[in-house]
Amino acid sequence: MTDRLVPPTSHLSEAERQCAADGTLGDDDRAAVTRHLAECDECAADVARLRAFIVRAQERTAAPGDLDDLWPAIRARIEEGKVIALEARGAAAASTTRRAPRVRGQWWLLAGAVAAAAILAITLHRPPRQTAASAGQPPAPAGTVQRGGRAIVQVSDSARAYQQQISALLEELELRRSMLQPQTAATVDHDLRLIDSAIVELQEALKHDPDNAALRQLLAASYRQKRDLLRSLDNAS
Amino acid sequence: MLRERGRNTTRLVASVLALLGATSAPTRASAQESARTASHEPILRARSLEPTASVKIFDPAGSVRVVAWDHDSIVVRGRVPPSERFFFAGSARGVKLGVEDRVDGKDSAPCDLVIYLPRHSQLSVKTASASITGADVSGWFYSVSGTIHLSGVATSIEAETMGGSLVLDVNTPWVRARTGDGRLLMRGTPQDADASTVAGTLDIATSTIQRGRFASVTGDIRYRGAPAVGGIFEFSNHSGAVDLLLPREAGGVLDLSTVIGEIENGYTQLRPVADVNGRGRSLHLELERDGGHITVRTFKGTIRLRKG
Repeated sequence: MTDRLVPPTSHLSEAERQCAADGTLGDDDRAAVTRHLAECDECAADVARLRAFIVRAQERTAAPGDLDDLWPAIRARIEEGKVIALEARGAAAASTTRRAPRVRGQWWLLAGAVAAAAILAITLHRPPRQTAASAGQPPAPAGTVQRGGRAIVQVSDSARAYQQQISALLEELELRRSMLQPQTAATVDHDLRLIDSAIVELQEALKHDPDNAALRQLLAASYRQKRDLLRSLDNAS
Repeated sequence: MLRERGRNTTRLVASVLALLGATSAPTRASAQESARTASHEPILRARSLEPTASVKIFDPAGSVRVVAWDHDSIVVRGRVPPSERFFFAGSARGVKLGVEDRVDGKDSAPCDLVIYLPRHSQLSVKTASASITGADVSGWFYSVSGTIHLSGVATSIEAETMGGSLVLDVNTPWVRARTGDGRLLMRGTPQDADASTVAGTLDIATSTIQRGRFASVTGDIRYRGAPAVGGIFEFSNHSGAVDLLLPREAGGVLDLSTVIGEIENGYTQLRPVADVNGRGRSLHLELERDGGHITVRTFKGTIRLRKG
């Protein structure tokens, strides 16, 4: 646990949020962090999300043990399926009926294994969208496209990564500004104002709806635009 | 071998001179343009060049025209006013050429350059206000305020102009393009495309793209084409509109969403729905035929889906 004090005007550090979520806060910090969480909706929401995630992860970890409880019901369904209805008519049905005894032993073994594997797979690898929906979390990570039930994960845009790059590039811009032609500098400033105003609008919207994945993706796209613009100044000077 | 190459280059330069002399007479040049160029010094440089040599070109003002050919040499011609200094240096592996920046802080006078170079050269062209025109060339093209027009076949294109417009009519597996306020038009047969503008209109008029990412902040994005089967397209815009004009026989899946904008569906009878959590409107369409997957997101820009 970090030993920094929590000023009321700043947000909790990542470590403080994690510790608050998993209950490992030190005695020295607990009071200050709890007080901050009572005052800061953003940190409180983040800690709540982390808690929900931890609970979900624990549920997943416990899932394999629950298979023992599930198995009798699975077995019962398999046993029910062993009764094959004999149809009086239909060559196909007759053919199936004739073949069934020959492969019956292998088929039950195979069906049992497939059913167990399917339950295990579903329990351990639930798709993100289903999991998120059930827990009230953001539906899908940025850049994930659901297509016919198959998730196509694209290169995800990260607003935070862009922000870090932008900070460094803005410092460079100030150094380069004197080398830019006045007209170029005016063009850059105009474009930056447009992008910044878009970013402000998106950030404002995200304050009211922090779990909106579409907003986050639009924000990441705006940051990307800003980064690309600042990068291009290297060529303009 | 080298001697033979040198003879080839000399012969080539002579024939180019004859060819250019025959075709250099201005046909419809304005009187003003003639007066401007009349005082300019004609330049001509040539040397042998490896097929994949790197070529770097810089011209602050005027125009740059780059043309690929199937010879093992580079030929530069043009007109440069006496106030400007032309440079041309390098080896068979790479060449740098262009017009030097003014050291006295004055604006550069316009210089017009035409460069013929091997088809597979790795090209870098940079200008301040000069326009760039390229045919069958690949590489990086950048201008602060000039227009860029590229056409033909290329291995890859990366083009950007902050203040000018950009027209791409290329057959290339990969293209990245960006403008600020200027219009960006993408035609031809690109496969993977990443294009964006800040305030300029972004027009995509091709059906060959397999992976496309198109973005703007306030400029409109207009897509005219049939999404390729298996293609993935992502459109994002803050306040500009996204206009999709699809042919009647188009197929695929479309996911359209806007936070506070509108969705106008002129393609099917389906109406957009308001998100249950109050997160704007969305429309999911699965067309009957196979096609691409199109995702459109805007903050307050209108999304229009129309039938062509």
